[in-house]
Amino acid sequence: MLLTRLAPGDITANLGAFAPPGEVARTRARFDLDRSPVAQWGGWAVRASRFDFGDSFLYNRPVGALIRRAAVNTAILAVAALAVATLVGIPLGILTGSRRGVLPATVRAVSLVCLSVPPLLTSLFLVFLASRTGWLPPGGMTSVDVIDASWSTWMLDVARHLPLPALALALPLAATFERLQAQAMSETIRQPFVVAAMARGVAWRQLLVDHAWRASLRSMCAVYGLAIGALLSGSFVVEYVTAWPGLGRLMYEALRARDIYLVAGCAAMGGVFLAFGSVAADLLLFAADPRVRERQAA
Amino acid sequence: MKARLLGLVVTAGMLAAGYAFWRSPGTPGSIASNEETRTRGGQLVASIRAVPRSFNRLVAREQTAELLSLLTQGRLVRINRSTFQLEPWLAEKWDASPDGRTFTLHLRPGVTWSDGQPFTAADVLFTLQAVFDSKTESVVTEQLTIDGKPITAAAPDDHTVVLTYPAPSGPGLRLLDALVILPKHRLEAALKDGTFTNAWNSATPPADIVGTGPFTLREYVPGQRLVFDRNPRYWRKAADGTQLPYLDRIVLQVIPDQDAELLRLQAGDIDMTQSELRPDDYVAAKHAESQGKLKLVELGVGPDADAFWFDLKAEAWKKDPRFAFVSRREFRQAISHAVDRETFAENVFLDAAVPIWGPITPGNRIWFSPNVLRYPHDVNKARELLKGIGLEDRNGNGVVEDAQGHEARFTVITQRGIGWYERGTNELRTQLARAGIALEVAPIDNGALIKRMLSSDYEAIYYRPLTTDLDPAANMDFWLSTGSGHFWNLPDEGDGGVSPGAGLVRAATPEWQARIDTLMTEQAATLDPEKRKQIFNEVQKTFAENLPVVYFVAPRLYYAHNARVLGVVPSVQRPPALWNADLLAVRH
Repeated sequence: MLLTRLAPGDITANLGAFAPPGEVARTRARFDLDRSPVAQWGGWAVRASRFDFGDSFLYNRPVGALIRRAAVNTAILAVAALAVATLVGIPLGILTGSRRGVLPATVRAVSLVCLSVPPLLTSLFLVFLASRTGWLPPGGMTSVDVIDASWSTWMLDVARHLPLPALALALPLAATFERLQAQAMSETIRQPFVVAAMARGVAWRQLLVDHAWRASLRSMCAVYGLAIGALLSGSFVVEYVTAWPGLGRLMYEALRARDIYLVAGCAAMGGVFLAFGSVAADLLLFAADPRVRERQAA
Repeated sequence: MKARLLGLVVTAGMLAAGYAFWRSPGTPGSIASNEETRTRGGQLVASIRAVPRSFNRLVAREQTAELLSLLTQGRLVRINRSTFQLEPWLAEKWDASPDGRTFTLHLRPGVTWSDGQPFTAADVLFTLQAVFDSKTESVVTEQLTIDGKPITAAAPDDHTVVLTYPAPSGPGLRLLDALVILPKHRLEAALKDGTFTNAWNSATPPADIVGTGPFTLREYVPGQRLVFDRNPRYWRKAADGTQLPYLDRIVLQVIPDQDAELLRLQAGDIDMTQSELRPDDYVAAKHAESQGKLKLVELGVGPDADAFWFDLKAEAWKKDPRFAFVSRREFRQAISHAVDRETFAENVFLDAAVPIWGPITPGNRIWFSPNVLRYPHDVNKARELLKGIGLEDRNGNGVVEDAQGHEARFTVITQRGIGWYERGTNELRTQLARAGIALEVAPIDNGALIKRMLSSDYEAIYYRPLTTDLDPAANMDFWLSTGSGHFWNLPDEGDGGVSPGAGLVRAATPEWQARIDTLMTEQAATLDPEKRKQIFNEVQKTFAENLPVVYFVAPRLYYAHNARVLGVVPSVQRPPALWNADLLAVRH
C-alpha cells in the first residue's frame, strides 16, 4: 500500500487528463489520498480488521466482494497447477534421482529449460499455440456460449479453459519439484537403511516407493509452502496473458490503476494464501514423516 | 406523345432511383444492405481493454463509456463515423433559423425507452439540465458551451424541442453528437439530490440502466465481461422492414493485453477489437486473412498523429536559460527540418505512415489543408537555423550550446509500453543528434505522464493526444490559448481555461497565438462552411509556421475483424466497428 502510494501518479490519473479539479479532489478524499500515508494506512488497517477492505476505484464496489470471487478463481487454477506439477514433477524426480541414462538426462535437460523460461514466455507461447492449433481455448475462464448454460456445462467449459493457464503455471513448478525430488532421492538411496533393505532382497521398485521416496519427502513437503507462494506470484503474469479472472490479474490491474485499496486487499489475500500454503506444508510433512509425528507425540 | 411518355417514364425512374438513394444506408430509419444478406440472430464477441467505471456517458470520459453509450443509448443527431456527415437519429428532422442560433428539432414518434416508457422532449430538457448543472461536472459541458454560455432548450410539445444557441455556431447541430439523451424518469431524483455524478456507476444493477440504443445491458462481471442483449423496443428498421439490431447479443470480453487480444482474434475466440492494428501486427493479420480467418480493412490515414512538444509555459522553466531558445520558433523549425519523415515512417511505423506538418492529417478529409509550410529534411538548414539563434557546437562534443555554454540537451518523456512511442522517441534522439540536439528518453507510466503534463513538470513530451471530433470547432480546447487542451502551454486557473469560445486571450500570449485565438473564435461562429474552411486553413498555416507542437508522420490505420461478421463499416475513429452496432450481423 505504501509502495502504491509512493509510486508516481495516483488514482486520479485515471480520471483523464482534463478532469475537473472538484472531481479530482473528491476522488482523493474518497480514497484518503488527502491524508498522510501513515494516517491512511492506520485507517485502512482498523477497517480491515473488521473485514472491510474499502472500495475499489476501478470497479466501484467493495474490495471484499471482488477479492473473494477472484481468490476462488485463483484457487481453482493453483490447485490444478499444483496437481499437474506434483503428478509430473515427483515421478520424474524419482526417475532422475535413482537412475542414470539417456532418459533421465533428457528429463533433466527439459527441466532446466522449464526452470529457465519465465512464466510470461511460457504463457505467451501456450496462448500462441492454442490460437494456432485450436486445440484449447486461448484464454479466459469460460466461453461466452455458456452464459445461459447449466451448471454442468459451465463446469465442463471451465475444465476446457483450465489446462492452458494451469500448464503455464505448472511447468516451472514441475521442473522445480523434479529437481528437488531428484536431489532428495539420490541422497536417500545412499542412506544405510536403503542399502540394508537392498541387502535383504527388497524389490527395487518397492524399495524406491515405500522406503526411499517416503524418506525423501521431508524436503519436498518443506518446499510446498513456498510453491503455493510462487504460484500466486507466477499467476500475476499468467492470469494477465491468459485473461484468467483471478487474484493475480486483479492485483495487476489494481496496481496499474493505482487502485490503492484493491492492491491492499489483494496483498492481504495473498498473505492468506501463503499462510494456507505453510499450514498445508506442515500437515503434509506431519502425514508423510513418522519422525515428525513421533516428535509431536513425545 | 411517345417521347413525352418516355420522358415521363424516365422521370419516374429517376425519381424512384432518387427515392431509393434517399432511403439508402446513409438515411437512418431504413437501411439497405449492399453485401451478403444479413439475417437476425447470433452473437458477436468483441474485446475491450479497460473496464468501464460508469454507464453514465455524461460524467464518464473513458473510451469504454463512449462505446457503451453507442450500444445502449441514443442521441438527437449523430455524426456518421464513416462519412462524418450529420444524420438524424432520435430527432428525425429539424429546421434552423437563418441566423443559425435556433434549431427546432422534431423528435421521432413512437420511440420508447428499453423499459417501455415513452421517449419525449422532457427527456431532452432533463439531459441538458443535467449537463449544465454545476454539481454534475459533466464531461460534455465544455463541448456544449458557446461563447461561455449554455445552449438553452424549450419543449412546445412532447415531440418538439427548440434549442437556442447563445451565439451562431459553425458546427451547428454537430455539437449534439456529444449529447447522449438520458431518461428523466430514471435519473431525475439523482439530479435533484445531487448524486447524478455517481448514478449509473459500474456497480449499478444492469436492470436499472435503460436507453434508446440497440442493446440493453444484461450482465456485467467486473473485470471479465459485459453482456448486452437486443433491445426489443429499438426504433430502427432495415430497408426490408427487418427490425434492428440484427444481432441477438453482443459480449464485450475484457482482455487487457493487446498481444493476447490479437491472438484470440486470430483464433476466432473474439470477433473484433476496439482499436486499429499496431504496425507490428499487420503481417500476422495479413496471414490470418489469407487463411480466411480474418478480414483486413485499410481505414486510411488516421486523424490523430504522434506529437512532439516542449513545455512552452515560461513559468515552468523558472530561470532555466534553455527556455530562451526553446521558446524561439526557429529552434522548433530546426527540429522539423532535422527529421527525415520518410525514415521516421519506415523505422517507427514500418512504413505505414505519411509525412505531415501539422495537427490536421490527411485522414481528416474535410478540414486538412495541404498548403501549410513544409520542412523538408535538411540537417544543414536545421544547423543554420540553430546558428541564427546563437546555438553552435562550440566545444566539439556534438551538442549545440548558446554563448554561455547551455547545451540543447533535454529529457523527453513518453508512455511506457507502447512500441511506436518508444521507437519514435529513439528515432527522434538519433535524428536530432545529427543536428546537435541531444535527447534523453524517459518512458514512464501513462498516469505519471499525464500528471507531469498537467503540472507542467517536464521539458518535452512525445505522445498522441486524441481528438474528439474532426470538426475543429469541437476541439476549441486544443486551439485556444485559454483552452484546457492547450497542452503545450496550459492556462492557469482563472485564465478562462474551461471556457473555450469565450475569445479570451492571455496577456502573455505571443502574437501568432493571439491570431489563432481570434481566427478560431471567428471560425466557430461562422455558418458558411466554405468561409469556415478558409479561416481554418489560415489557422493551420499559422500553426505550421510557429510549430508549438511538431508533427512528423500520421499512421495509416488497418483494422481486422473476424470474417464471419457482416455489415462492418469501419471508421478511423474509435470504436472502428461497433459505432454501427445495430447494422452488424454474423454469418450463421
